[in-house]
Amino acid sequence: MPLPTAPAALRAPARVRWVPLGTFALAALAVVGVAAVVAFLVIGVRSGPLDWVELLSSSTWDPPRSRFGGAAMIFGTAAVAVVAVALAAPVGWAAAIAIVELAPVRWRRLLRAASELLAVVPSIVYGLIGIAFVRPLVAGAAGVPGGDSLVAAALVLAVMVLPTVVAVSVDALAGVPAPVREAGAACGLTRTEVIRSVVLPAARRGMGAGLLLGLARALGETIAVFLVVGRADGRFPTSPGDVLTRLVRPGQTLTTKLNGPESILAGTAGGHWAALCGLGLLLLGAVAALTVIGQRRAGVEGAGRRRRRPTRRSVGGGMGRRSWPGVGRVARDRLVRAGLSCALAANLLLVVAISVVVLTRGAAALRPGFWWSPSVGASGGGIRDQLVGTALVVGVAGVLAAPVGLGLGLVMTEYAGPGLSRWLRTLTLTLGGMPSILLGLWGYWLFSIRLGWGRSWLTGSILLAAVAIPPVVIAVASSVAALPKERREAALACGLRRDQLVRSVIVPQALPGLVTGTLLGLARAAGETAPLLFTAAVFSGAPALPSGIRDSPVSALSTHIFTLAQDSAEPGAAHTAWGAALALVVVAGALVLAAVPARRRMERNR
Amino acid sequence: MRLTRRCSLLALVLVVSVLAACSSTEERGRNGTGGRASSLRVSGSTTVNPVAADAAEVLRQQGTKITVDASGGSAGGIAQLSAGQVEVAMSSKPLSADDKAMFPSVDFVSTQIGADAVGVVVRREVFDGGVKSLTKEQATRLFEGRLANWKELGGPDLPVFVYDKEPGRGTREVLDKYLYGKEKAPPPPTSDSYAIVGGNEETRAKLLSTPGSAGPLSTSFITGFDKLAVVAIDGIEPTPENVRTAAYPMARPLFLITNGPPTGPAKSFVDFVLGPEGQQLVTKHGYLTIAELGLA
Repeated sequence: MPLPTAPAALRAPARVRWVPLGTFALAALAVVGVAAVVAFLVIGVRSGPLDWVELLSSSTWDPPRSRFGGAAMIFGTAAVAVVAVALAAPVGWAAAIAIVELAPVRWRRLLRAASELLAVVPSIVYGLIGIAFVRPLVAGAAGVPGGDSLVAAALVLAVMVLPTVVAVSVDALAGVPAPVREAGAACGLTRTEVIRSVVLPAARRGMGAGLLLGLARALGETIAVFLVVGRADGRFPTSPGDVLTRLVRPGQTLTTKLNGPESILAGTAGGHWAALCGLGLLLLGAVAALTVIGQRRAGVEGAGRRRRRPTRRSVGGGMGRRSWPGVGRVARDRLVRAGLSCALAANLLLVVAISVVVLTRGAAALRPGFWWSPSVGASGGGIRDQLVGTALVVGVAGVLAAPVGLGLGLVMTEYAGPGLSRWLRTLTLTLGGMPSILLGLWGYWLFSIRLGWGRSWLTGSILLAAVAIPPVVIAVASSVAALPKERREAALACGLRRDQLVRSVIVPQALPGLVTGTLLGLARAAGETAPLLFTAAVFSGAPALPSGIRDSPVSALSTHIFTLAQDSAEPGAAHTAWGAALALVVVAGALVLAAVPARRRMERNR
Repeated sequence: MRLTRRCSLLALVLVVSVLAACSSTEERGRNGTGGRASSLRVSGSTTVNPVAADAAEVLRQQGTKITVDASGGSAGGIAQLSAGQVEVAMSSKPLSADDKAMFPSVDFVSTQIGADAVGVVVRREVFDGGVKSLTKEQATRLFEGRLANWKELGGPDLPVFVYDKEPGRGTREVLDKYLYGKEKAPPPPTSDSYAIVGGNEETRAKLLSTPGSAGPLSTSFITGFDKLAVVAIDGIEPTPENVRTAAYPMARPLFLITNGPPTGPAKSFVDFVLGPEGQQLVTKHGYLTIAELGLA
């Protein structure tokens, strides 16, 4: 069937049945995937006797005696996430206000991009930073031997959560229309007063969403926490005062428990496995709820639909009430602005410090030979095979994620009614917020054990595709939403049916989004460790390129760093680990950087 | 438009080729008897790992495909062997009745490749301060978190910090067996001077970074680390002689475990480790060889 070139020939393209069929099939694949993860956890829970009351309330976790109380893990998760967000949210909010309200307009994009650089750094690299800097800090300050503690994990998480808070808050602030500010200024308010009484009330909902999304990210993080939180189970605090003591002791969170050796030792049925799956369900429920609520609040439609009624906090009301005696309005304005700028400076300083640390410690990777020589023994040599393995797993993940993401995005924007569309959006967000260790365990159970693939690179690709799909869907959906109404109308006026419209107008429109979304999704996937640990990677002996599917593991950069960081005391190992970390940051950074020109070019060529 | 078509074509070709690759290997796995004639997977104990990794390195140069992984320790290796995920499990403890009860369908065959001692490793300043030997009762107090200061054992005035291994580690089981015999070990103490560690390298790193600490660790892992010392148990030091005669209570054999007698690549791997070259590797990493144990 020759495909017609529509405008020149002036006739409608032929009907194409495969368009709706294909998109629906691909979208269904994604839906089935998410359902499968939930089903896996439910099957796991039902595979053995599980006392939910004990799991939620007891803090005795003793597998040999079949006692499975998860209270200590639940406490650990909550404590780590709350402390992290409590540290990150004020700094993130202040920095976002400084970026949008104080910085010159031409710097705004640059500053925002700079503060988002923190999000490009993979979590395994944050783990290394935690081992090298945060653990000694906690060891010295709190007298904890080794520094393994919940608070060390919280400090690392605070840095990881920061870019989420900043990005969402910047979006919320930028959404406040400029005339509102101008009106405030015209009333004679100072910059600070405009921010407090005009901008913040309008942006509050979105900024709160930043906090929720940050919290979700903190709850789901696995690898960075695992490396600094210790291996002991920890305890549930016995009194309110005990909480502080518990914070400076080793403990477990839900994610680190699932990432530990018990998941392999528990077998894939029975009480122990059921208890682990129960913890997994709890984790998934909490993260999914926070993500969905947070995204709804951050979404434009949410902010527009529900306008808050003016409260006393709005213009005027709050002004006089909290005036500081003895400090003039102008002085106060300066003081607050200085404070906000300091927060932004702290944020940027963090970016610079982390770049410097990764660059200096990762000096090994500055030697070209490091990139293309194979690793030797326990910690020597280069990272050639790891690089090839990561490229293979991530590349195939991209091939899988792009069509599925496109299909889901098209169904969501073009075919589904408002109800289904909202539902699919929720599903995408749930997948995007899914803790990667749950994907890892699902892959372990389904592919490694049930299908008997053992460790296979393809399992890794499938799991990383799941990581990469949500950014693809979101980018496709926003590309399609940006289609001018006139073009759609023109196409319909030409007599195009919906599938023809999709193929000839919508898909070309969505392509730039597809490419950027895929690249961004892959940048995230490249740094993932937890999905590969049990399913796809081994430390040594995997051939650079696997020859089949079953029992064909690869070496990957992220898991290589994980093993080097954890199981080695030799200085050589740290050297190699940091070198590999720099390489991983370079890979992820290159994917993100490639996304920008790729999009620009495709939009020009459209 | 042309771009769309090209992109979708490319994606289609890639997906199809991946699917084709899938199905072709499926078939190979089903048809080929033994399936993976020249490939071997090894996993388990971090104590045996250095020997196995070096041996695998040599065999790999001769064309055998071997992957070595040390996740989950001895019990992890045994679990993966039972699940058919590896052909050879490395173990730094004898199989227990629990292991056999958990995997009744597996025909475990253990081949001893050497021996080693689990030492109660303390910091040099504790050792030099007077704690040179522990009785069983003292060791029990230490690992149950009922010892606050080394003074109580006639050592220096220094708080005690205990690192025990996580469950499933061979080292932990050997220690528990010495302390409690056939009884189950009590749950870990709730003392704040107690933490849990994983592999041998991690244990060593933690001991090196914590003054006044003690922990169970393969004695060969502290060679060359002056800050650490091994205490005697009931006055018996873990010398090679005492390990050989099993006079030292925490001497332990090191095993390669297979499901059924080793065949194919698993057999050549086990044979290599038992052979002269492999046994040299056992010596190189500080363990006792089969010959030294008088078993050869």
